[in-house]
Amino acid sequence: MRRISSIALNTFRETIRQKLMYLVLIYIGILLFSVFVLSPLSVGAAKGKIIIDVGLAGISLFGVLTVIVAGSSLVHKEIEKKAIYSIVTRPVSRAEFILGKFSGIVFAMAPLMLSMVVVMAVMVLIGRGEVTVTVLLAAYLSMLEMVVMSAVVIFFSTFTSPILTSFFSLCFFVAGSLSGDLTVFANRFGGNSMKYFTKGFYYMLPNLKIFNLRHEAVHDLRFNSSDIGMTTLYALIYCAVILYFANLLFSRKEFS
Amino acid sequence: MEALNVERVKKSFRSDMMFSSKEILHGVSFSAREGEILGFLGPNGAGKTTTIKIILGLLRQDHGSVTIFDRPAGEKRSMSRIGYLPENPFYYPHLSLKEFLEFCGRLSGISNKKLDARCEEIISLVGLDRNKKQKIKSFSKGMLQRTGLAQAILHDPDLLILDEPFSGLDPGGRKTVRDIILELRNNGKTIFFSSHILPDMEALCDRTVIINNGAITKSIGLDEIFRIGENRIEITARGCSSKTLDDLRDYLERVDNKDEETFLFVKKQEYIRTVIQHIYNSGGEILKVANEHPSLEETFMNLVNGEKASAEKASEKSNSENEMKKEEVS
Repeated sequence: MRRISSIALNTFRETIRQKLMYLVLIYIGILLFSVFVLSPLSVGAAKGKIIIDVGLAGISLFGVLTVIVAGSSLVHKEIEKKAIYSIVTRPVSRAEFILGKFSGIVFAMAPLMLSMVVVMAVMVLIGRGEVTVTVLLAAYLSMLEMVVMSAVVIFFSTFTSPILTSFFSLCFFVAGSLSGDLTVFANRFGGNSMKYFTKGFYYMLPNLKIFNLRHEAVHDLRFNSSDIGMTTLYALIYCAVILYFANLLFSRKEFS
Repeated sequence: MEALNVERVKKSFRSDMMFSSKEILHGVSFSAREGEILGFLGPNGAGKTTTIKIILGLLRQDHGSVTIFDRPAGEKRSMSRIGYLPENPFYYPHLSLKEFLEFCGRLSGISNKKLDARCEEIISLVGLDRNKKQKIKSFSKGMLQRTGLAQAILHDPDLLILDEPFSGLDPGGRKTVRDIILELRNNGKTIFFSSHILPDMEALCDRTVIINNGAITKSIGLDEIFRIGENRIEITARGCSSKTLDDLRDYLERVDNKDEETFLFVKKQEYIRTVIQHIYNSGGEILKVANEHPSLEETFMNLVNGEKASAEKASEKSNSENEMKKEEVS
C-alpha cells in the first residue's frame, strides 16, 4: 500500500505541475457567459436551469478532457525517458505501478472537479437558482465518470503512444456515452448477427449514460436513489476490470 | 554464495521484418562472487546493457536463467537486494533531490523513521549537500550521475549493478564514485559494473568479464591480466645515432622518436643489459628504463581482435570446406 501511495503522490505532483487548474478559469468564463448572456434571454426559474445545465455539462466534459490530456502521456513518458527504471528495478510489482498511476491521476483530478462544482454552485446562487441535492449528485456522477475514464486512459497508455491513447480514449468516451443506444439501434434495424455484434460492444464499452443525471438535476425530477449506489458499484467494477487488463498487458511489457 | 549467476542466457529481438528475429545474446554465462567487484567490459553493441536489463527484469530472456543470491531474479525479495544505476539516468525533474530520494526510499521499503536520516547521509556521501533542495531539472550531467548513485545505494543493497557509473563525471566526481565503490566493497557488498573507461575498471575490479558479439569471451582476474603476454620493456634514451639503432635492430621490437628522445621497446627481458650497454658505449645517454605490464585496454583489444581474426579464419575455413565439398559433389 505504501508503494502505491508513493507512486500516486508522485503522479499527483507531476499532474498538478501541468497547470490544469487554469482549466477552471476557462470553466468560469463559460459559466459567466451563461449567467450574463444566456440567462437574460430566458425568464423566471429557467435562468438558474441554464446555469445548472451548462455547469454540469462543463464539469463532465472538462473532467474527461483533462484526464485524457493529462493522463495520456504519463506512463508513456516514464517509459520513453527511462524514469520508470528507478521504480521497476525496486521491489515494486507492475500492478502496484498501475494502481499508483491510476490513483495519482484521480487524486489530481479531484481538486479540479471540486473547484468546478463550487464555482457552479456560486454561479447558480448568483443567478438566483437553487443548488438541490440532485444537482450535487449529478456532479458526483460526473466525478465517477472521470474515474472510469482515468482507468481507460491508463489502460491505453500501457501499450500505445500519447496521441493514440488520447484518440482511443476519446473514441471510448463518445462510444460509451452512446452505448445505451446501441442495443436500441440493433433491435430496431439489425438482424441476429447485428444484435450479437452490438451486444458485444455494449458489454465491452462503459455505459457512460448512467453517469448522466443532468436532465433530472436541471428539471429537479425524481430519480431512484438506489441507482446512485448501483452506478458507484458499476464504476468500481469497471475500473477493476480495465485495470486488471492494463496490468496484464503491462506485466508483459519489456523496456528495451 | 554467488551474488549473481547468469546461466546460458539467450535473447533475440524482432527485426523490422515481422517474422524474423536477430539473436543478440548467444548463451551468456558468468557469475559474481559475494563481496567482489566484477567489471563488465565490451565494445558498443556487444550486449552489455541487454544483459544488465535481463538481470533486472526489464527484459525477459528467451532461454537460460538469472539468480540473485540463489533466488530467481525478478522476485520481490531479490529485487530488494539490488541497487541499480542506469546509463544516462533520467529522474523526475519536478522533484528536488531530497524528495526524489524519499520517493525511492519508500519504494524500497525504508521505514519513515529511518528515511530522513538515511537520505541526509547518502546526499552527503555523494557530495550534493548544497543541492538537496534543488529541483532535479536544473542538475548537470555529473550531478545526475551522483543522484543516480545515491538512489542506487540508498537502501543499502547487497548487490550493486552500475551501468557506466563514471560517464559524465569530472575528475573529482570520478574519484568520489571510485571511493564509494571501494568502500562498499570493503563493507562486503558485491559490485557489478560496466564501463568504457578502462583505467577506472582496471583500478577497481577484482575480475573482469569480457563480452563481445553477444557472448562471453573471457572472464579474467586482474592478476591474470598481468600474466597475459610478456611485460613491455621501454628504454628512453638521448643521443642515439642511426648506426646504434641499426646495430640493435635484432633486440628491439619498435623504435619511436620524439624531439631529441628515442623510445626503444626491447623484445625480451634478457636483452636489456645489451641494449643499455651498447647505447652507453656509443655515446648515448639513458634517461629511463620502464618495465610495464599490458593494460586492460591492450588485453581487451587483443582479445577482441584475436576473436575477430579467429572468427574470420573459421568462416574462411568453413567457406573453403563448403567449396571443396561442392567440387567433390560436382
